[in-house]
Amino acid sequence: MPEEPDIELSFRGGRLVSALPIALFIAWAIFQSGILGIGDTTGLVAGMLTGLIVGMLFVRGDWKDYADVIFAGMTRRVAATAVVAWLWAGMFAETIQVGGFVDGLVWAATILNVGPGLFPAVTFLLAALLATGIGTGYGTAIAFTSLVFPAGLLLGANPVLLFGAILSGAVFGDNLAPVSDTTIVSAVTQDADIGGVVASRVKYAVVAAALAIAAYLVAGFGIPGVWSGMPHADVTGQVDASVSAWGLVHLLDIALVIVLAIRGRHIIEAISWGLFAAALFNVALGAAGLVDVSVGSMLLFSAPVNGLTQAVASLPVVGAFVETVPAAQVGVGGSIYSGAAGFFPLIVLTLLLVAGAEIMRAGGGFDAIQELLIDRIATTVRRAETTMVLGTALVNATVTINTAAEIAIAPYIATLGKRFNINGYRRANILDANTSALGYIFPWGGGLLAGLGAMQGLVGGEATPWFTQQMVVNPASVWPYVFHGWFLVGVFLFAAWTGYGREYVSDRTSEEVSRV
Amino acid sequence: MSRLDKLLAGWTFRTATPTFEAGEEITAYVTHRDDDGYSVRIGDSVLRIDDAEGLEIETKVRVRVTSFDDATYEGTGEVVDVLGTDV
Repeated sequence: MPEEPDIELSFRGGRLVSALPIALFIAWAIFQSGILGIGDTTGLVAGMLTGLIVGMLFVRGDWKDYADVIFAGMTRRVAATAVVAWLWAGMFAETIQVGGFVDGLVWAATILNVGPGLFPAVTFLLAALLATGIGTGYGTAIAFTSLVFPAGLLLGANPVLLFGAILSGAVFGDNLAPVSDTTIVSAVTQDADIGGVVASRVKYAVVAAALAIAAYLVAGFGIPGVWSGMPHADVTGQVDASVSAWGLVHLLDIALVIVLAIRGRHIIEAISWGLFAAALFNVALGAAGLVDVSVGSMLLFSAPVNGLTQAVASLPVVGAFVETVPAAQVGVGGSIYSGAAGFFPLIVLTLLLVAGAEIMRAGGGFDAIQELLIDRIATTVRRAETTMVLGTALVNATVTINTAAEIAIAPYIATLGKRFNINGYRRANILDANTSALGYIFPWGGGLLAGLGAMQGLVGGEATPWFTQQMVVNPASVWPYVFHGWFLVGVFLFAAWTGYGREYVSDRTSEEVSRV
Repeated sequence: MSRLDKLLAGWTFRTATPTFEAGEEITAYVTHRDDDGYSVRIGDSVLRIDDAEGLEIETKVRVRVTSFDDATYEGTGEVVDVLGTDV
C-alpha cells in the first residue's frame, strides 16, 4: 500500500491539545459508562464524533487539513482489518450459538454432576471453552449467567464466587480466542499474525488459568454457599429432559478455525471454513431433530404477506429462507445477519477512534506523551514492559468497553515496545491480556454489566420462578473473585520483571499482518 | 515456522541484556538517532550504527554486528538492508 505523505497539524495551546478528541472521548466514556452506568457502544460513537468536532475548533490554519487527517486515519489498514475480522467472527459465533452450543455446555456441566464446592471451578473451565470458541466474553457472560448460574445456585454454589468464575472464563476466551475482537486488535496493531499471537500467548494464559482453577477449588470448598437455605433440587434430572448435548459437535468447527488460524491461514479463510462446517452441522442436527435449529435460524427474510411473497415462501430451497409476517415484523434475521450487525456500532467507533489517534499523531500530541514515557519513565526494558502492563490495565480499568480502550492505548504499546525491540507477539500479548482482564472485574466493566443484565433477566423468569431480586449479585462485590483476570495481570507483571516469555525482534520477527 | 514451534517459542526467561557475536546478522528496529548516527536498542543492550543515513526511528533493518562487549552490553553494527517501517 503506497504511503501518503503525512500531514502535520498545529493546535492552539500546543501539541498536547491534539489529544483533545480522544481525551474528550475517554471523559465521555467514563461519564456515560462509569458514572451513569450506560453500556451503550453507539453512545460512545456520539462521544467520539463530538470529540472530533470540538478538536477542529483548536486547529491553526486550514481546517481542510484536519478533515484530511480524519480520512487518512479511517482508511488505515489496521481499521479495515479489524472491521473484516469482526464481521466474520460475529457471523461464526452467532451461528454456533443458534446451533445449541451453549445447551451442550450446560448439559456437560450438569451431567458431570459436580457438587457446590467443585461447581465454580468447572464453570470457569466450561465458560473458558465457550469464550475461546465464540470469541466474545460478553456473549459468554450473558449465556452462562442465564443458563449455568441458576443451575449452580440450585446446587448450593456461592453466587458471588460463581459469577466471578463465569467472568473469569470470559476473560480467558477474550484473551485467547483467535476470533475475539480484542485478540484481533492486539495482533493488527502490533503488526503480528493472529495465529502466531494466539500460539504465543498460551504460555501466559495457562499459567494464570492453572492458578485460577486452584483458587476456585480452594474458594469453592472454603467459602460457604450464601444461599444455602435454598432448595437443592436435582438439576441433573431437570436439565436432561430439556437440554441437548448435540450442540457440542460445534467443538469440531471451533477446533477447525483455531487450527487453520494457527497454521497461518487468513482469518477470513479460517472463519469461513468454520462457518461452512457450523452451517452444515446445524442443518444436519435440525433435520435429525436433535437441536431446534434450521436454515432459517441462520438466515431468514421475514417479508410482508402478499401474493408474491407467499409464492416465494412456498418455493423449494429458497422458500426455507423466507417467511411471511405481519407488516410490523418485517425484516431480515438469522445468525449471519445478527452476528455481523452486532458489531456495527463497534466498527463505527473503531473507525472514528483511529481517526482521533491519527489527529493526535499529526498534531504531535502522540510524540509529546511518548517522549515523556521514554525519557522519564520507561528507561529500561523492565520498566518499559511494566509501564505497558500498568498503562493498559489502567486505561481498561476506567473505560467500560475494553476493545475501545485497547484501540486507544495500542499505538503507545507499539512505540514503547519497538524502542526496546520487543517483538510483535510479546507486545500483542501484553496489550490483550491486560485489556481482557480488566474489562470484567470492576462494576462498570462491560463484561460484568453484560452478565449482570442477564442476571436481572432471571428475576421472575419462566425457568427460574424461585430467583428473587435479593439473589442478584451486588456488582461491587465481585471484583476480588475474578481470579483469572487478576492472575493474568499478575503473570504479566511477573513476566515484565523476570523476562518470562520475553522475545526480541532479533529473536523472532512476527509474520506480516496481512497473513492474519 | 511450524505450529508446534510457534506454540513452544518463548517459554523461557529472556535476559534484559541480550548478547551478540561479531558477524551475526539480526533484524531490529532503529530506536535512536543523534548527531553521531543511529543506535539499535535491543532490551537494554545497544548497537551503535554510524555508517547509515536517512533512516527514520522505527525503521526495521538488517544489521550485521561488527563488535560486541559482553561486559557493557554495547556494540557496533552496520546496516546491510533496510526493510522499511510497519504499516
